[in-house]
Amino acid sequence: MPADTLEVRGLSVAYGSVTALSDVHLSVAPGEVLALLGPSGSGKSTLLHTVAGFHPPQAGEVWLNGRCVSSARRSEPPERRELAMVFQNYALWPHLSALDTVAYPARRRGESRAQAREQALMMLDRLNIGHLSDRHPAELSGGEQQRVGLARALARRASLYLFDEPTAHLDTHVRGVFLEELVTRQRDTGAAAVYAAHDAEETLGLADRLALLAAGHVIQVGTPEQVYGEPVDELAARLTGPASVLTTPDGPGELLVRPEWASLGGNRSARIRDVWFRGPHSDYLLDTAQGRLLVREPGPPAHQRGEDVSWGLRRSWPLRARDPARAQTPSSVAVPE
Amino acid sequence: MALAAATVVLVPLLVMARTVFVEGSADLGDILSSPGLGTAVRNTFLLALAVTVLSLPLGTALALALRRPDLPARALWRVAILAPVLVPDFVLGYSWLRAYGRAGFTDDLFGLHWAGVQGPLGVTVVLVVNAVPLVYLITAVGLAARSEPAMERAARASGAGALSVLRTITLPLLRPATATAAVLVFVLTLGTFAIPQVMGSPAGFTTITTRIYSNLARSSDPLAFVEAVTLALLLVVIAVIVVAPADALLGPRLRVTRAATTDPTAAAGTRSSARWAATGIGLYSLLAVGWPLLALVATAVTKAVGLPPSPANWTLDNFSTILTARTGDALGRSIILAAAAASVLVVLGGLVAALERNRGGRSVATLVTLTLVLPGSTLALGMLIAYGRWIGGTLAIILLCYIAKLWAVAHRPISGALDRLPPDELHAARVSGASPLTAIRTVVLRPLAPALLAAWLVCFLTALHEVTMSSLLYGPGSETLAVVVLNSAELGQVGATSALSVVITMVLLAPALAVWFVIRWLNRDRVDLARSIPAPEPVHAS
Repeated sequence: MPADTLEVRGLSVAYGSVTALSDVHLSVAPGEVLALLGPSGSGKSTLLHTVAGFHPPQAGEVWLNGRCVSSARRSEPPERRELAMVFQNYALWPHLSALDTVAYPARRRGESRAQAREQALMMLDRLNIGHLSDRHPAELSGGEQQRVGLARALARRASLYLFDEPTAHLDTHVRGVFLEELVTRQRDTGAAAVYAAHDAEETLGLADRLALLAAGHVIQVGTPEQVYGEPVDELAARLTGPASVLTTPDGPGELLVRPEWASLGGNRSARIRDVWFRGPHSDYLLDTAQGRLLVREPGPPAHQRGEDVSWGLRRSWPLRARDPARAQTPSSVAVPE
Repeated sequence: MALAAATVVLVPLLVMARTVFVEGSADLGDILSSPGLGTAVRNTFLLALAVTVLSLPLGTALALALRRPDLPARALWRVAILAPVLVPDFVLGYSWLRAYGRAGFTDDLFGLHWAGVQGPLGVTVVLVVNAVPLVYLITAVGLAARSEPAMERAARASGAGALSVLRTITLPLLRPATATAAVLVFVLTLGTFAIPQVMGSPAGFTTITTRIYSNLARSSDPLAFVEAVTLALLLVVIAVIVVAPADALLGPRLRVTRAATTDPTAAAGTRSSARWAATGIGLYSLLAVGWPLLALVATAVTKAVGLPPSPANWTLDNFSTILTARTGDALGRSIILAAAAASVLVVLGGLVAALERNRGGRSVATLVTLTLVLPGSTLALGMLIAYGRWIGGTLAIILLCYIAKLWAVAHRPISGALDRLPPDELHAARVSGASPLTAIRTVVLRPLAPALLAAWLVCFLTALHEVTMSSLLYGPGSETLAVVVLNSAELGQVGATSALSVVITMVLLAPALAVWFVIRWLNRDRVDLARSIPAPEPVHAS
């Protein structure tokens, strides 16, 4: 069995007295895309920066392609790790044109300027921004800047790509296009990737596996379907999408219900507290005997606020007893935006 | 690095204290009660206080007015207000004497003169003019960094009038910048020498610095030397008494100036108020700087004092009298000295800025910042006692003084630029395969270049202007041009002094303009970035 592209073993990182990551274990197989999902401040960036070699860990190890590159005793410098990174704020150099930015990794490999530029131009052309090659960052839009950032990362020809919320500063409509581009290109290279994000919708579609991070701990790892359908706790459920929590009348536990697991029409009754038209579907927030429930139905709203309706459950997932340490999540139903 | 800082700062101070308490302890009572000493101390303190109180509102008002996008000829006024920076302070003082004094330019033309220009009042006014650019710069940076237009717009939208916004939002946000400016102006005025010497001494107005200078001139009197050292230490004591509480109150704000990222344009006012502001700034620039410099040039090209500056009386004789081998040598020495000091300082400043990012380097940075409040006269005397035996009277001791005095000046812009550099830009280079040194060479040095050049330019200009230390330390064969000008002024050679003043100002102007254009060219990436952000529409007052 070939070695994993990335293996993180018991990693702990602290900034002064503040612990940013504690005892994190993760692995990424060759060609696999692992998404890191967590609220801001959960340690996603720290994890990526430690893997890249910008921070030394306090404890634990980082292995790349079967080689230990970070431990508490020894840390390989970033330039000697076979990885590339796309940054949240693009991190383009203001004094270099797009062409020279993308040629930079090849220059550092020791290739001639002409050769490096030729390859860079090909890379820019592949990303459909060849015509922008002589522009400086200040003359590029956010989407264009991030494409240059992606091209620079691809030019590194790494076996592992790190994406640190690369769409965070992009407009919503640019975001989808860029993301598609990013995934296609990265898959073309056959390399593995770690993609940090705080947007569930974005990550569920692109990742092979999902790792949920909260307050420096990995709380769950699994396929997107697993994590979405069978979250370990309420926090994991909320991180991966809209969810309601119902109390069960016949037991002590709580039930997690995704909006599309419930439907209008059934043997239970409720009153509609609120209705939102969302385009392809409509969301209804119901006041039921077991708590507030969010129901998603296709098409425009068929009922109004205040109406009494009936509802039924197609599926539900029993939640583990709430961990008191992570009780900071709101107990009311989170309404998707 | 710590050793270097100690050599140029701590050792001189310690040996001075030893001189006073060991060699002068018997006479300390006599020294402190010697006639005129109390007057000099009182004059120095009151002068620093008056200049601070007067220059703060003036500089702040200018910064506020120049922030308005609708101000006519805004770029021109910005240059006009900063112009005194390019003129050595003794040239500014001398030009005021030529413009407004008895038998001066205004007297020749209109028969009007202001007798008080030679004396405490004139010294105060010219020191205020000299301090205004500093207050303006600090306040403008504070405005850009702290009071974003959105905050003022929010106040307007909450029902505050233009004046209430100024009083309740803008000025309170500016408080840290104002405090920084006040401390700096006060301390710099305490240590100022050239203007009181040129404008005050002839009228019998003495300060601590001018007294140190005249004490050292009486080099045969050992008591005078000990008195000079005592006075120099007294200057430090006054400076520390003022700075210490301010520093404690403001904490790290004095040391760390935040990056100015926001566009400093403010809400516009009415059109007539903009015209008034422009008129005021224009009048100020004309009276404070333009007219005196014109008077200086006129005196330099006029045959004799008292003749009206009409073409019939024009001559280049003054310039040919000063074009001696001595002046040429002094000019060459000044330029070499200033260039050497600036180059060493940029390297040292850069090193401290880089070290500062580690915990160990921070104390060196603090020590370096302390040199800002160390008056030039004190530093010069300390160096003289500590190292005079080996390098006294040579250019080396003056160079050492410049390095000690200007280290902080070089360190600050470089440190600020390092702060502004996004760490991810460095990370991106490393992760693209660059080693630490390659990363610094390819992606750090280039964005840092404007700051390095700016630091070099400021050090070069300040070193070229400098007379406080060089006038105490020069010996045969190590006279700088500034010292030549000062000596010429003291000898009362009006035409020659004016011609020399014009020459030294010109010498400053050429490299200043060259480096300024290079900085602008280097900055074009960042400037474009600032411009690419669409400027918000100005809010018009109804």
